[in-house]
Amino acid sequence: MTRVIPVPQQFDDRTFDQFARAYSAPSPEEKVLFDAHATQWASPYGLLGLLVAGQAWLDRHKVHPLLTLPEDRDVAHYWARAGFFRYAQEFFELHGKVPKVVASGTSDVLLEVTPVREADDVHAVVDRIQDRAQTIVSHELGLEAQATMGFAMALSEACQNIVEHAGTGGWVAVQTYTWRRTLGRRVAVIAVADAGVGFRRSLEATQAKRFGDRWSDATALEAALIQGVSRFRDPGRGQGLAGIRRYVSRWSGKLSVRSGTARIAIVPPWDDDVPLADGLPDFPGSQVLLIIPAAQPAK
Amino acid sequence: MTLPIDLKEILRQTVADGYGDLVTRRTGQAVRSGIERILSRLDGETVLIDFGSVRCLDLSCADEIVGRLLRERAQERSFVLLNVDDGHREAIEFVLERNNLAALAKTKSGELQILGTLSEPARRAFAALVRLGEATAEELAQETSLPPESAGELLEELCRLRLVLRAAGRYRAPVR
Repeated sequence: MTRVIPVPQQFDDRTFDQFARAYSAPSPEEKVLFDAHATQWASPYGLLGLLVAGQAWLDRHKVHPLLTLPEDRDVAHYWARAGFFRYAQEFFELHGKVPKVVASGTSDVLLEVTPVREADDVHAVVDRIQDRAQTIVSHELGLEAQATMGFAMALSEACQNIVEHAGTGGWVAVQTYTWRRTLGRRVAVIAVADAGVGFRRSLEATQAKRFGDRWSDATALEAALIQGVSRFRDPGRGQGLAGIRRYVSRWSGKLSVRSGTARIAIVPPWDDDVPLADGLPDFPGSQVLLIIPAAQPAK
Repeated sequence: MTLPIDLKEILRQTVADGYGDLVTRRTGQAVRSGIERILSRLDGETVLIDFGSVRCLDLSCADEIVGRLLRERAQERSFVLLNVDDGHREAIEFVLERNNLAALAKTKSGELQILGTLSEPARRAFAALVRLGEATAEELAQETSLPPESAGELLEELCRLRLVLRAAGRYRAPVR
């Protein structure tokens, strides 16, 4: 029997837990099909989540999971433009025709799916994004020049979480789009994800004792994001997430970090997410999401 | 005597030719080690660190290059951060505030600013000293309408933090 894990029709941070629930459901089958045939849209967060799921499944079962591509050609083309298939073919047996696309300088994909394994990758990501980020953040989002500089800084720090803490490689993707549903404005979105050890295991050696029975994915996320702790004892450590938090707060953005069975978020007034969600379906590694909205139009 | 240190040059020597960004902890550690090697070879009471050719500075690099250098070396020398732009400033201030440190910066337009954690009276005293160029405690007291004793205490606080230098009873900023 092949177990089917449906990829949500609209696959983003809102529907991620639905996907994670299907992924983490106990099952004797080792053969699995990730079914994206009906998927109409996937955010960078969704695409990276799919890669993480594929990588983690392959690592655990040593069998390539199957992935059916979206039937909608436009959707499949977008996934190709976002660089998803380049890495998906490492982990999945792909079913469906992978579109051939040529990179376009005018795309809303600011940074296609890019692997992050070591410090050099972070340099490359920051180097590639800076010129386009300036155009997007200041012209398209209408934010001050300072927001552009902080954008690259936040991106760098988010990527370094993988290098320093995941114990494995991960990916980053950056995109802009118009978020009609709740905001009615354009947003720039940074998604960073890995299938690594997650926050709880990364911090366990230095923090678990302090929390005793309360130690969990949720308390590990609180310790990292709110208290700024790190697995390193150096006084300068643990400020990356705190810096990202300050950046998103300053520009009315959202920061969300999911790891294991918990998710913590800095929630702006335009969003209705909860600050801390615990008891979620278990999912490998860590997933970080930053959303920077366009400036509020003058009334 | 002042020692000018170009971060782009250190970056080129210690990490790689092509980088223009100070990002990642590893890069920060390499650049700080490069700065420390220069400091070990040269005498001089003021060190100028030039950010002029640095595009992006992230928090990890700001912590290694500014935070850690000040935490470990500020007793020995004055550090002045040159050509700091708004982007650099954001990362540097974040690190300084978290570590309860202060640093002297000179912007691209030539303005001297104290970044990080410092009391408001000490900031005002520093601004007045910069206006005067150099001064005794009494001259600063006249300029700021502070009691001479308070002016002296503020100048001593600035001296302890190496934000101001003292010679023969006169105080001045490490750079003009």
